[in-house]
Amino acid sequence: MHVEASPRPTIRDRGRAPVTRRALVVNLAVADLQRAIDFFEALGLNFDPGFTDASCACLLVGRDAHVMLMSRELLGGFVRAPIADPAAAPTALYAIEVASRDEVDALLERALAAGATHAAGLMDGPSMYARCFRDPDGYTWEVYWMAAAMRER
Amino acid sequence: MATTDHPTTDAPAAVPELRNAGTAPATRRKLFLNLPVADLQRTIRFFEALGFTFDPHFTDAKATCMLVGDDAYCMLLTRPFFETFSGRPVGDPVAQPYLSLALALDARADVDAMVERAIAHGGEAAGEAMDHGFMYQRGFRDLDGYHWDPFWMDPAAIPG
Repeated sequence: MHVEASPRPTIRDRGRAPVTRRALVVNLAVADLQRAIDFFEALGLNFDPGFTDASCACLLVGRDAHVMLMSRELLGGFVRAPIADPAAAPTALYAIEVASRDEVDALLERALAAGATHAAGLMDGPSMYARCFRDPDGYTWEVYWMAAAMRER
Repeated sequence: MATTDHPTTDAPAAVPELRNAGTAPATRRKLFLNLPVADLQRTIRFFEALGFTFDPHFTDAKATCMLVGDDAYCMLLTRPFFETFSGRPVGDPVAQPYLSLALALDARADVDAMVERAIAHGGEAAGEAMDHGFMYQRGFRDLDGYHWDPFWMDPAAIPG
């Protein structure tokens, strides 16, 4: 692990919950929308048909947490640049928290069965357990469980 | 966030088939978006200026946790720390984009306010405002070049 000499940053607006709740929508480019939908449905996740059309589909993760799967053309229009390969030069990683260690294994196995590949990043400790996969578009996802005690420390 | 009325090009593609449809998640899970940043302290100041809160329990010299909504978090990581997870050098979000981040806000005026605060604190305007009447969106790039689109949507226009 990298060791940094830099100090812990200071925070002015601190808390355990957001002062203002906002919904986060992560827009991700995918090569084949139907393939991506089938993949995430195989993981047990669901989609909002009200925000799904021929070029995008809204994956429901949490109460204020959504992933909009988009055609490369649609996202390219928003960011005004050709879409890059997330596996070659990653600028983001995605993590999903589940309720138990068993659920981590179950979700990973479903992902692999649905066409994902293993990615490095196994973490196996008494209070945290994580495994990673790369989805069919090359995005790396971490599925993890964290003991409640670790959150409340 | 995409609307369903964007212009279509060429032959219309088929609307994809959904097997697990709904308007709320079948199982609520927390989503953590991990983003590498060049200067953790500078980025914290930037997003604090936009009204975001940070969790001190998940903050150290290498990472901090920005609280966005229920189940929605951004972990901002130093680049070297991010690379220990990605196993690859960090890409350039401007030259090699494959994602953008949208934020649903409660009011149309909040969209302009957030973009103006972002610009005042070192961000850049990105693209032009998109005004559909029932939906309003304006983009900015943060200090690391990530593309954010705060938007407001009239609750009456939300399908379902």
